[in-house]
Amino acid sequence: MVYKEWIKTRWFVILYAVLGLSFIAYPFLNVQRDFKFSDANNYWYTIMFMGVSYFGSLKFVPVLGALAISVAQYFPETVSKRIKLTFHLPINENRVLLMMMLYGSICLVTCYIIQLAVFLGLSCIYFPSDIVMPAMTSVTPWFLAGFAAYYLAALIVLEPVWKYRMAYLLVTGTFVPLFFQSASTGAYEPVNLALAFLVIIISISLLFSGYRFRKGEM
Amino acid sequence: MVKLSRYFLVIIAIIGFGIALPKLYWVAFSHPIRAPFIQYSCVDHDFMLLRSQDGVSRTNSEGTTFTREEYENKLPLMYTRQLLMNNTMPDTIDGVEMDMHEISANRSTFRVRPREIDAPQPTLFPLFESQSGRANLEMPSDFFRIIWRMEFIDAESNKIDEEKSRMFSAVLYKRGFKFPAKSINGLPTTRKSCDEGYLIVDSEDQLFHLKMIKGEPFVKKVEIPDGLKFRWISCVDFKDKFYYAYLFSTDNEVYVLTQYDYMLVKLDVENINPEENEIRIYGDLFNYNIISTGEGEITSQVLNKDYKKVDEYKESWPVRDERSEGKVAQFIFPAQLKMRDSNSSFVRFFFEANKSFNWIILSLLLMLVQFFIIRKRKENIKNQLVDFAIIAATGIFGFIAVNFFPNKFFK
Repeated sequence: MVYKEWIKTRWFVILYAVLGLSFIAYPFLNVQRDFKFSDANNYWYTIMFMGVSYFGSLKFVPVLGALAISVAQYFPETVSKRIKLTFHLPINENRVLLMMMLYGSICLVTCYIIQLAVFLGLSCIYFPSDIVMPAMTSVTPWFLAGFAAYYLAALIVLEPVWKYRMAYLLVTGTFVPLFFQSASTGAYEPVNLALAFLVIIISISLLFSGYRFRKGEM
Repeated sequence: MVKLSRYFLVIIAIIGFGIALPKLYWVAFSHPIRAPFIQYSCVDHDFMLLRSQDGVSRTNSEGTTFTREEYENKLPLMYTRQLLMNNTMPDTIDGVEMDMHEISANRSTFRVRPREIDAPQPTLFPLFESQSGRANLEMPSDFFRIIWRMEFIDAESNKIDEEKSRMFSAVLYKRGFKFPAKSINGLPTTRKSCDEGYLIVDSEDQLFHLKMIKGEPFVKKVEIPDGLKFRWISCVDFKDKFYYAYLFSTDNEVYVLTQYDYMLVKLDVENINPEENEIRIYGDLFNYNIISTGEGEITSQVLNKDYKKVDEYKESWPVRDERSEGKVAQFIFPAQLKMRDSNSSFVRFFFEANKSFNWIILSLLLMLVQFFIIRKRKENIKNQLVDFAIIAATGIFGFIAVNFFPNKFFK
């Protein structure tokens, strides 16, 4: 089962892991250049008092990776309704779906942990905790948005009825932007925990589409 | 578990629509009322109001309308250059000679908004050399923070300067500073006339003035009345050099801290709360005009140069919920959810409950519509009671959510 998921997604996961890391490293090339051209103290000053963010280019990196993995994992299942074959396996249908979801989540968690660790490590080379911690607060909702996009994309892809696909897309369109509000660095601090909770509760949303799919809802 | 997944999706949809629909509504139908710009005429000793709602109008507090020229003539300290151009600048006002240098030196403008206070605050600051002997201030190579001690971090190496940190921490400690700092307030910019360092509130609400003079720490403890706590301190750099800062207390009072003699002078004003209202303070040769603008109300309190109140003007207007678009919104939305608020720089779930119960009418109507939808689907009403409860409690948001994620488990 897990092997099947790996076969479907391996190139996307590997490509995203590599590309994601290069996207994470990219802003630090800018930081290094700015340190040389405008002096470290001036660069720190622009971050703390002029609203400059050194990590803005990372904004959609987690969500794009999540969408790629989600589509790679679930789209093949909808072609000729292949997922119905999976439902004929002697395993509980919900368990099958939860395993698929868990597989995707683990892939994302692995990629995100590596990306966040690299981001944190590189940030700590150039900046003190007073700059790094608000930066971590600001990037957290972007990574949470990655999970939200993965679960909601799975929901949309597995939904058998186009009318409801559009409805889910609309819900996604109102929900995912909550993670991308334009705000100063560190501004997400009061809400990150609540957003994480919402992401956890939508992690099982896949079951709803799966239920409709196997009931042959059209 | 599958049913649970549906209810979770319904919750997500309610949150999403609870934010998006009111936002769309207000973008389409909001007609905000602009507060008038209030100034105090030292000629008429009356308030002058400039309104820019539906065309510009200039009046005094009694509603007498003025032409632009008449209006500017009544505010010679505000429109000095224009009056000089028109040759209408008076020689004296109330027996005081109009000296351009004096007018300029006494002019000051200050503003603080709630979203500057409810915002992520920096914890690292540059400590400028106050007596460098240079004409311009220079950005130091290190930044300081005050945690369990005062620490200077060199930006180039990202390492703590132990010697400097120990020296400043020791002086703060000797002056009775209790670590860590609650707030550090200053003007962390090189674009100021001179450096006066920082006003720092310690963990026991004591106030200290800290600056660096020729590389050495200068620390002065400011005597403040017992129990006085500040909610916000704004340092200023005005030409008159009368005071270091405006200090806003938790009791909605305003103080100024005079330069050099460190006198904490209370301004004769009431109800000044920068956490809820925008505060503007305009100073001129004769007066200070303290303007507080909030939701549906503006107050202007005018003080003389001894900080005693000489006049006050108050005006109010219907707040959003009292206006027609607000009343309609109360019929449509049971509550409104926002991620951003004009009074905060933080991202939060700002929940605004409906002040009336008019929304229940729409909820009942939507429950009726839902009843017909379920009948049309030939489903048992008893199995849909939770959905009815959701619509009853969350109105239009719940109605859309339960129909986007239909309950077909009991088919």
